[in-house]
Amino acid sequence: MENAWIIPLFPLISFLFLLLFGRRLKENSGYVGMVLTFLSLIYSLVVLFDRFNHPTYKAEATWLAIGDVQLTAGFEVNQLNALMLVIVSLVSFLVHTYSKGYMHGDDRFHIFYAYLGLFTFAMLGLVVSPNLLQTYIFWELVGVGSFLLIGFYFYKEEAKAAAKKAFIMTRIGDVGLLIGMILLFWQVGSFEYDAIFLAVEEGAISAGIITLTAILIFIGAVGKSGQFPLHTWLPDAMEGPTPVSALIHAATMVAAGVYLVAALFPLFTASETALMTVAVVGGFTAIFAASIGLVQTDIKRVLAYSTVSQLGYMMLALGSAGYVAGVFHLMTHAFFKALLFLAAGSVIHAVHTQNIEEMGGLWKKLRLTGPLFLIGTLAISGVPLLSGFFSKDEILIAAWANGNPVLFWLAVIAAFFTAFYMFRLFFMVFTGQARSEMKNVHESPKVMTVPMIVLGVLAVVAGYFNTPWFGTFLGDWLVEGNEALGHGHTEGPIWIMIVATLVSLLGIFLAWLMYGKKSLERDWLSSRMPTTYNMLYNKYYLDEFYALSVVKTTKGVSVLLSYIEAFVVEGIVKGVAGIVHGLGKTGSKIQSGQVQAYGTVAFVGLAVLVVVYVLAGGYLK
Amino acid sequence: MSSVPVSAYLTLALILFCIGLYGALTKRNTVIVLISIELMLNAVNINLVAFSKFGMIPSITGQVFALFAIAVAAAEAAVGLAILIALYRNKKTVNIDEMNDLKS
Amino acid sequence: MSFLSILVFSPLLGILVLALLPKTQESLIKLVGFLATLPALVLALIAFGTEDLTKYDVVKEWIHFGSDASLYAIDYELGLNGFSLILIVLTAIVSTLAAIASIHIKKEWKGYFMLFLLLEIGMLGVFAAQNLVLFFIFFEITMIPMFFLIGKWGYFEKEKGAYSYLIYNGLGSAILLIVIMVLFARTGTANISDLAQLMAVEDANTPSPISESLKMGLAIALLIAFGVKLPIFPLHTWMLRVHVQAPPSVVMIHSGILLKIGAFGLIRFGFGIFPEQFKSLALLLAILGVVNLLYGAFLAFIQTDFKMVLAYSSISHMGIVLIGLGALNEAGIQGAIFQVVSHGLISALLFFLVGVFYERFQTSTIANLGGMAKGMPLASGFLLAGALASLGLPGMSGFVSEFMAFLGLFEVHPVVAAIGCIGIIMTAVYLLRAVLGMTYGKAGREFAGITDIKSVEFVPVLVLLALIVLIGVYPSVLSEPLQATLETIMLGLGG
Repeated sequence: MENAWIIPLFPLISFLFLLLFGRRLKENSGYVGMVLTFLSLIYSLVVLFDRFNHPTYKAEATWLAIGDVQLTAGFEVNQLNALMLVIVSLVSFLVHTYSKGYMHGDDRFHIFYAYLGLFTFAMLGLVVSPNLLQTYIFWELVGVGSFLLIGFYFYKEEAKAAAKKAFIMTRIGDVGLLIGMILLFWQVGSFEYDAIFLAVEEGAISAGIITLTAILIFIGAVGKSGQFPLHTWLPDAMEGPTPVSALIHAATMVAAGVYLVAALFPLFTASETALMTVAVVGGFTAIFAASIGLVQTDIKRVLAYSTVSQLGYMMLALGSAGYVAGVFHLMTHAFFKALLFLAAGSVIHAVHTQNIEEMGGLWKKLRLTGPLFLIGTLAISGVPLLSGFFSKDEILIAAWANGNPVLFWLAVIAAFFTAFYMFRLFFMVFTGQARSEMKNVHESPKVMTVPMIVLGVLAVVAGYFNTPWFGTFLGDWLVEGNEALGHGHTEGPIWIMIVATLVSLLGIFLAWLMYGKKSLERDWLSSRMPTTYNMLYNKYYLDEFYALSVVKTTKGVSVLLSYIEAFVVEGIVKGVAGIVHGLGKTGSKIQSGQVQAYGTVAFVGLAVLVVVYVLAGGYLK
Repeated sequence: MSSVPVSAYLTLALILFCIGLYGALTKRNTVIVLISIELMLNAVNINLVAFSKFGMIPSITGQVFALFAIAVAAAEAAVGLAILIALYRNKKTVNIDEMNDLKS
Repeated sequence: MSFLSILVFSPLLGILVLALLPKTQESLIKLVGFLATLPALVLALIAFGTEDLTKYDVVKEWIHFGSDASLYAIDYELGLNGFSLILIVLTAIVSTLAAIASIHIKKEWKGYFMLFLLLEIGMLGVFAAQNLVLFFIFFEITMIPMFFLIGKWGYFEKEKGAYSYLIYNGLGSAILLIVIMVLFARTGTANISDLAQLMAVEDANTPSPISESLKMGLAIALLIAFGVKLPIFPLHTWMLRVHVQAPPSVVMIHSGILLKIGAFGLIRFGFGIFPEQFKSLALLLAILGVVNLLYGAFLAFIQTDFKMVLAYSSISHMGIVLIGLGALNEAGIQGAIFQVVSHGLISALLFFLVGVFYERFQTSTIANLGGMAKGMPLASGFLLAGALASLGLPGMSGFVSEFMAFLGLFEVHPVVAAIGCIGIIMTAVYLLRAVLGMTYGKAGREFAGITDIKSVEFVPVLVLLALIVLIGVYPSVLSEPLQATLETIMLGLGG
């Protein structure tokens, strides 16, 4: 555990190495990335097991001195960090492997792997950070990794726009985080998590400041985790290669917001208002994004909205004081959503389109991808015995136990939506007849399917680490030695589990009726409420709204300022120049060249001076 | 001795100076201007001589200075006339209004 | 000759050699010009590795007025402290790299390099001078070569650029000269540390004491004089023209170092000599900083020419210097100094790349450069890296300075600072708009016959990037030499 700092370094080496020599290695670059992330994975597992038996380890050194204040950099291995290390390095390794097949033939193959290395480095660095400043540093770096990978197909206008949007939207959130962090610093005198928690516990910070800083920090999480109203970048981010969507925009980076709230959980629990804000934003996002997901036709976009919705779930859990539920769902979601994206990638790889209207009947052609996709779909829908069921159940219990029935029922409806749109996706892609001409459809190579199988297994079993039936190992371990985090497991009424199961099954059944059996017309609902359908299809016109309000305002301010620049500032300059010029002109007109005129002026001047002198009584002195 | 008061000398000098100044500033003929300048010089000379006799500390220096001034004025008149002739050869005129070469 | 004198005047050797060369020998002249910047670089690096800087102090009697030997003497005094040393190193590095960038100069290389080296002498001298008169002389030495470099080797409206440079800076130095002369006449000394001590003491033993209101007036005059150089809104328009009209290698120097003289002067003379007055001006400084930051950022957002984007971005980034200074605490001032260095490196990098692109495409209009990553992947990558550094990406120098400046300001004026934070977002917006507009998207042109960044062009890019990353990852490399200077400043501010 003392050497845990080395874990993020492996991918960094991969990044630098591939940047320098990748061009020569060509597709062998993939092996470099794979080997180095595999080392990270192994070491992460070692650290995780080490953590089971040893207390939290922390090491730091001075990074920068400002007067007497020493800002430090270092690493910390506590339960949450150790768990995140494994999740990140595992998914990253699997995606590295998968990309070997998916990106085959791309002439910027090595660049892709270099970027993946950069991102993995930043993400691993983020999860071992012992203080807010370091977290912020890596927080921005993962943003850049994401930005670079979204814009990987840089020659596509859409990719360019999506990359720009992702960076700027998250930066808006980041500024919130930055302000919150600095305000907290001047209260506590340190960026260290420990010091912050201690100050909160001792009541050294006023309640108002706690709420303010917690909400500001939460804004950072909102940006990164694609929560309403800063979520619009995440669906657009699907312009990146699919493995990237799996790694960054499903499993790891977008979960960083959730991770941040979890890491700062004692700060949030100190303020009712902050916690409530987290819960409301999370709950609203969960149902809001799920409702958009109902009608989208791009396979990756459906998954993207589902990610936004699931992240909302996690936020809801944390906001309902369900620390374990949030972190647990983060873990299971990482596995089944990565699986879904990789499987979607495999489908896209086979049929070369992302539009589900053009797919259909792929179950027979993709004998491996189909079942794996089904596992992921079942898991995310919360069908019993799969991982998503247990974690979603924890969240619902936490929401109920927190005593907010509105949020609870919102979450239930969102679960229904989730089950419906996920199975809509499944039925439209894999069952029925192909709706367009598809040639050469073939299963993906082994290098792509094996990672999917690993994730498939995890998507099934990951839930059993923390179940109300066999024991809540994970939950108990996570909160061990820290009472501020709440209990390892919250007992909830049994009917919640039943309701949750029922709504998912209902959603699946409805989807089957409409898209599987087709006994209901596909448009029986949308034709009845065209306005609602259009609104959902256009994502509540939020992009258009932002384009009209924020973007237009910014442009307007800029144009206004440019007028100020051109007319006021330059005007003053021109005015001054004009006055000087005019003075010069007048002066040169007086210079007539007539000596007698000069003489007259000189004489009159002298006379005036003498008169003044005399009147002033000068000569008497 | 003489009962002519100092104010009479000074008045004479003042009148002479004013005539000279008027001539120098208004006359169009350069020769007249030159003569007017000579008048002004001589007004100064009268003042110098008057003060050397009636000044607070009478001294011969004033009269010596006046002699110097007369000598220098003669030289100056010679040079001035020479320049005027040169100018006349160039411009074919003695009208001062046309001698505005100072204006670029 | 003492060490510092050699350091400052070493480019003179290059000027002499160049004077003897025939003016048609293009490559030889360029080589000599480049080599002539090296001695200063080596010496500056040697000094940077030294612990005790006082041993470099030089004092020689020079000009003396009146009979009292201790008063009204202007000596030839050079010396170093942590801050000026860092700027000298920066000057030496950027000058060497700009000399490399000068390979793109197309005519009259001999005159160009002679002026260029003269400019370097001026800049080195400005930072090494220990008294105000000497400072002013070097300050003026930088102006004259700069005027000709813009006016002769610039682009379409070069004369206009050169004249507005000269007029604005001439006015600035006139005001500076007045301040210097008043101080010299009233106190009898021009030495900076003597002045700082005299000002700190009540009823100091000077020929003619300076009243509080006069001190305030002098402080404001200093702010204006250096505000022109920095530049502070609304005194900035000259700088836009210089950025657009001057050749890129000259803009590297200009944006990288000459603008920094404004910040250097404010910190060294403003805070050094008039700490009390600047304390009461602090809020004004902070607000001016935020105005600069936002004004530059919003205007950069709608520019169509990349050079204009960078020009406004310079204004915006200089706002951060003011924000840091306005904070009046260690974090803020350290942030301001970091920003001075960091922006020097980053803008040198970006303008070098502008030169690289201009050399190949004869344009710097964003719309005409779209999709460049297709044809010039390496150069585009470096441009993106430069832009990321400029928008304050952690791990690069821009972040450290921006962070510290805001950290400082949040302690004293949280509301002003929070408004300033909009600038952080806007910086990302305008830089990405411009850089992605140039490199990403559909290629608008053919890239046949266009070579990517090559051979000698790598040197400036890699050196600058390495330094930017070094400062970003290990900021102590700057903060440790600065410690003593900062303590002196904080002592003056009484905190």
